[in-house]
Amino acid sequence: MHNPLPSSLTNLTRAIRPRPRPGDRPHVIYLAIGFPPAAKSSAYRLRETANQFCAIGWDVTVITICQEAWEREYGLDHSLSAGVDPRVKVVELPLMRVDLETDIRNFSEARALRPREWIERQRRQELKIFPEPVFGGWRYALEKAVLREHRAHAAVLLMTTCAPYVNLAATWRLWQEHRVPYVVDFRDGWSVDVIGGGTAFPEKSPAGQWEKRVLEQAGAIWCVNEPIAQFYRDRYPVVADRVRVVRNGYDPDCVPDAPHRADPAAGLTFGYLGSINFAPALLDSVLTAWRMARRVDPVLARSRFEVRGHIGAGALREANAHSELLRAAAPDDVEFGGPVPKAEVAAVFGRWDALVLMLVGGKYVTSGKVYEYAASGLPVMSAHEVDHDAANVLAGHPLWTGAVGLDVAALAAAFREAARLAVEATDAQREAARVHAEHFARGAQLAPAVAEAARLASNPAAGKPTPAYADRGR
Amino acid sequence: MINVLLVAGTVPRQETVLVEALERFRKQGVQVRLVCDFDLSRLTFDPAPAQVRGLRETEPDDRLRRSLGGEPSRAVWVRAWHDEVVRRWVREADVLVSMDMVAVYAVWEMAQRQLDADACHGLGPAARAVQARLAGAPRPRRGLRAAVAIRAGIVARATRRDAQGKVRRAMRIGMAPAVMRSGAGAWFWRTAVAVPALPDRVRTGVAYRVHQRAIEADRPQQAAAASAAASARLEDVASRANLLTREATWELAIGRVPVALHAAVATELAVADGWLRKKNTARATQSTHRALKLLFHRVAHFEQPCSPLAERPAEFLAPLRDSAVGRALATPRGRATPAEPPPTDRALRLLVLTDGEARRSRTIRGRYDDRPDVEVQYVDLGDETDAGAVRTDPAAQVGHLLAGSSEYGNRMREWLQPRLEWADVLLADGTEPAAAVTLFDPGTTRIVVRTHPADLLRPWAHLVDYSRVDELVVAAEAVRELATAVLPQLGTETAPTLSVVGDALDLPAHARPKEPQSRFTLGLLGVNAVDTRWAVEVLRQLRAGDTRYRLVLIGTELTPEPGMVVRRYHEELLAELVELERSGAVARVERVPDEFPEALSGVGVILSSPIRETFRHAHVEGAAGGAVPVLRGSSLAGSVHGVRALVPTEWVADTPQQAADRIRELTASEESWRANGAEVAAYARATWDWRSGGQRLAEVLRIPLRHPVH
Repeated sequence: MHNPLPSSLTNLTRAIRPRPRPGDRPHVIYLAIGFPPAAKSSAYRLRETANQFCAIGWDVTVITICQEAWEREYGLDHSLSAGVDPRVKVVELPLMRVDLETDIRNFSEARALRPREWIERQRRQELKIFPEPVFGGWRYALEKAVLREHRAHAAVLLMTTCAPYVNLAATWRLWQEHRVPYVVDFRDGWSVDVIGGGTAFPEKSPAGQWEKRVLEQAGAIWCVNEPIAQFYRDRYPVVADRVRVVRNGYDPDCVPDAPHRADPAAGLTFGYLGSINFAPALLDSVLTAWRMARRVDPVLARSRFEVRGHIGAGALREANAHSELLRAAAPDDVEFGGPVPKAEVAAVFGRWDALVLMLVGGKYVTSGKVYEYAASGLPVMSAHEVDHDAANVLAGHPLWTGAVGLDVAALAAAFREAARLAVEATDAQREAARVHAEHFARGAQLAPAVAEAARLASNPAAGKPTPAYADRGR
Repeated sequence: MINVLLVAGTVPRQETVLVEALERFRKQGVQVRLVCDFDLSRLTFDPAPAQVRGLRETEPDDRLRRSLGGEPSRAVWVRAWHDEVVRRWVREADVLVSMDMVAVYAVWEMAQRQLDADACHGLGPAARAVQARLAGAPRPRRGLRAAVAIRAGIVARATRRDAQGKVRRAMRIGMAPAVMRSGAGAWFWRTAVAVPALPDRVRTGVAYRVHQRAIEADRPQQAAAASAAASARLEDVASRANLLTREATWELAIGRVPVALHAAVATELAVADGWLRKKNTARATQSTHRALKLLFHRVAHFEQPCSPLAERPAEFLAPLRDSAVGRALATPRGRATPAEPPPTDRALRLLVLTDGEARRSRTIRGRYDDRPDVEVQYVDLGDETDAGAVRTDPAAQVGHLLAGSSEYGNRMREWLQPRLEWADVLLADGTEPAAAVTLFDPGTTRIVVRTHPADLLRPWAHLVDYSRVDELVVAAEAVRELATAVLPQLGTETAPTLSVVGDALDLPAHARPKEPQSRFTLGLLGVNAVDTRWAVEVLRQLRAGDTRYRLVLIGTELTPEPGMVVRRYHEELLAELVELERSGAVARVERVPDEFPEALSGVGVILSSPIRETFRHAHVEGAAGGAVPVLRGSSLAGSVHGVRALVPTEWVADTPQQAADRIRELTASEESWRANGAEVAAYARATWDWRSGGQRLAEVLRIPLRHPVH
C-alpha cells in the first residue's frame, strides 16, 4: 500500500499554508463525485449539502469528475443542475472510468483480445494506489485538485462524501498538509457490507487501515441510517460520539400536489422510479409476482406497471439482463420508460396509483427513494427483505403493504393488497401518509448536520480528533 | 444508407433487447448485418430484417483450422476475416459493433481495416453512433500518419504471430511422442513447466501442451506429474483451476477419464468457495458447474467398464462434500407445512412429472387413467408453455441453490406451482424433475421421487432438496445402498422416507404365442442404451456352431450420442453389422415402444447388456412373453452388487462365452426352450407385473384402496 504519511515536503508546504483573507466568507471544499448534473441517486443529497452551505454564507467549491464520465455511466440530468445554488463553484476533473469505455478504437490490442483479463489487471493496479477497485487510480488527481483549490482559496472545512472512497485519500492529504478539518459524509459506509450484512473487510486490511485513520481525525461522520451509524460506533468506539445519522430524505418538489385518483375500471398504474441496479433475480421475482397476481386479480389484469430509471452502464446501458427482463415482460403490460429528469419526478408520481419499492440489502439499507415514496401519498408495495431499514421509514405509513420478503407468492399477494389500497384509500389516509413522511424532508434532515459542520470549522476542537493519532499522521 | 455490422461471438443473451434494437435501426433506415460465430440454429428469435452470416455454417479447412489457435476472441476474428462476405461487409460498414466480450477483438481488427467506421462495444453505444451519423455530427479525421501507423501495426502483428507460430511448431517437435516417452524428455518438460519466475500465462500454456502430448504418448502418469509440477508453481488458485480443468476437459473430450480429475474438481471447487465467501454467487456458480461437469461426465460413468462413483462414492465425492458450495447445495430448506393426507371427498389428484422418458409413465397411465377415484395429469420437462419451453439447466439450478433466488427458479415456480396447487400427490420420475420441483416450497402436496440407478451418477441427484421430498423410491435394495452412499443427506433428520418399490410393469400385453423358429432368434431391445457389440459377440459364438441363430435389434434408429467413445463405438458397431446384416444373421427392426410386444413375439431369447441402467424393462418384458432371458453380468450403474441382486442368478452371464453356452443349453430342444420360457414368464409376471407387485407403489402414491386392482 502507498504510504500515506507525510513526505519530506510536508513541513515546507505547511509553512506556506494558505490563510483565509480577513473578511472572506468561510470556504468549504466539497469532494462530491456524483454532483449534478450527474444522473446519480446521490446527486440530490450532494446538491442539498452544497446549497445549505451556501445558504449559511459559505463559499462552496465542489470537486467532481467531468460530465463525459457520467455519459459513460448513467448519463446526465441537467434539470438537477437548475437547483444548484449559482454561487457554488464546480470543478470538474478529467477523470473517467476506463472500464466503461465503449469506443473500441481506444482499446489496446491486449484489451481487445482479453477484455476481462485487462480489466482485472487494471483493478489490481488501482488497488496498489488506493484499496478501492475501479476508483483507486484517481487518488493522485484528487489529491492534487484538493490541494490546488485550497491554495487558490483557503478552505476552513473539507466535506467529503463517499462513494467513491478514494476521496478519503485526498481528504487525508489536505489534513496532513494543511490541517483542514473535515467531515466525512459516509452515507452507506465502507467497511460495512450493506448488502450482505456484516463486515466488508477487516480493520487490518489496507482499506481497514485507511478507514480507521481517516475516521479517527474526522470532525463528524455522517451515515444514512442508524444501523450503519451503530456499526461504526461499535467498530471505532473512539469516534462514537462523532457519528451522526443524516438520513437522505426527500425533496418537496418531487412530491405531487395531489395523488392520482385510481380508476379501477380502467386499470391502475403501478410505478417504480429509481436506479435499477439490484440483482436481476429481484426484478424477475417482482415481475413474476406481477404476472401471478394478474392471473387472479381482475383489476390487476387490466393494470400497467411502469418502470422508470437508469439501467446499466457503459456497453450494457439499457442492454443488460434487467432490460431484457423488462422488455420480455411487455406482454404483461410492463413498460420501461427510461430515466426521469428530476424536474419531472412529481409529474410522474402524479400519474401513478401505487408504487413498487424494489430494494437490495437488509437492515443496513434505507435508500433515498423510500422517502419520496413515503411522501407521495400513494400506496407503497415493498419488494425487499423483511428486516430492512426502509421498513423503519414506512412503519406507520397508512398505505403500506408491509414488508413481505422476496418470495414470489408473497409478492403477488402484496401486489393485490397494494391494488386494494389504491382503490379504497380515502383522502384522509392519503393525507395521513404525507404527514407521516413530513419529517423526512431532505432539508430538515441535513440542516442540523450542516450547521454542526460549520461550527466545527470555526471551532475544530469540537470534533475531538484523537491527538495521538494526529501526531502519528505528521 | 448507414451500414451497421454487429458481431456476436456467443449467442446473444438479451435477445429482446437485440430484437428491439434491430427494429429501431430498421425504422431509422439503417442496414444491419449480423455476423454470428455460433451455430445459427441456436438463435431463438427471428433476426430479420438484419442480414445474417454464420461463421460456423461450414467446416473450417485445414489452413483455417491451423490459424484458429486456442484464443476464442482471436478465433472469431480469424473465422470472420476468412469469410469473403464478411470482408465485404466490413468494407461497407459505417458502425462496427461487438455484441459481447468474445467479439471485441474481431471488431478491433475490423476497425483497423475500415478506418472510417465507428467501432463500439454494445448496442447502446451503437445506437448513439448511428444517431450521431444521422444527425450529421462531424467525424474525426484520421491523417495519413495515423493510417500508416495502423497499417504498420497490422504488419507487425502478422510478423509477431508468424514468429509465435514457429515457436509453437518447434515446441510441437520437442514434444513428439518419442520424446515424451523418453526419460530425458519427460524430465525436461516436467522441469520446464516448473521453472521459477515463468509468467502464469506461459506456464499454463506450456503445461497444457505437455499434458496433451504426454497423454497422446500414452504416459498418463507423466502428464499428471507435469500438471502437478506446473500447478504447484501457480500462486493463483483460479489459474490452477483453469489449467487443471482445461486439461481434464480435453481428456474427457477424447474419451479418457482424466488423470487429475480429483485435483481438477477440488481446485475448481476451491475457486467456487472463494467466490461464495465473497458472496459472488454468479462466479461461484460458474466454477461449481464446471466442477460438476467434470465430476459427473458421462465418459467417466457411462462409457467405461465401471463408474468410479459407483465403486467408491465417498472417495469420489469427497471434494464436493468437503467444499462450502457442496454443503450449500445440500442445505435443506424444508417446507412450511407438511403434506396433507389424501382427500376423502373427491378423487385423488396425481401429477406425474417426467423428464422426457414418457415410457416410464406408461404403466401409470395404464393403471390409473380410467379410475374414477384418481385424476392424473402428466407433465414433462420440456413441455411447451405460454412463455416457450421450460428447460432444466444444471448451472441455473446451482445458481438458484447458491443465491436462494433466481430467474430460473421463478420460471420453474411459475410453471409448476399452479400444477402443484392442483395436485394432492406429485410423482417426480427421476432426479431431474425432482430438482425442478424442489426449487420451491411445494405447499401441502405430497412429493414422491422415483430415482433410477443412472440418476445417481448424474449431477441432478445432488441438486435435489430432499427436505422437500416425502418419499424417495428406488427399484431395488442395491440401488438403495448406492443412493445412501452417494447422498449422505438421505441419512439426516430432514431426509425423506426411502423405500424399495420394484418396477411394476404391464406384462400381460407381452404374452404372445411364439413360432417354433423363434427358438433361434435372439432379441435386443433399445439399441442405443445397450452394448450391442456384446450381443453380436454372443451371436458370433453361437453361429460358429449353428448358423440358425440370428439377432434382431429392436428399437429406434441407431443414433450415437455425443462423446468420442460413443462415436467410436458406433462406427465400429456399424462396420461390424454390415456383413452380418448382409448374411441375414442380424436384422434391425425399427419399432417405437408401443410396438415392442408385437416385435418381441418373434424373439426366443431376450438379451440384455445395459450400459446405463442396472434394471431395464426389456428383459422383463421379453421374459414375460416367454423368451428366455440372458443378461450381461457386468452392469455399470449400481455395480456394487450388479444385476444379480435384481434377477435370478441363472439369468446372468459374465462373458459372451457363458451367455452362448446358456443359450445353447436353453434352446437345445423346442420342449426345453418352451418349458423354460413358460417358467420365466410366470416368474416375471409374479415379480414385476403391477397387478401383483404394484400395490406398494399405489400405497406410496396414496392411491385409494376402495377400488382394488384386478
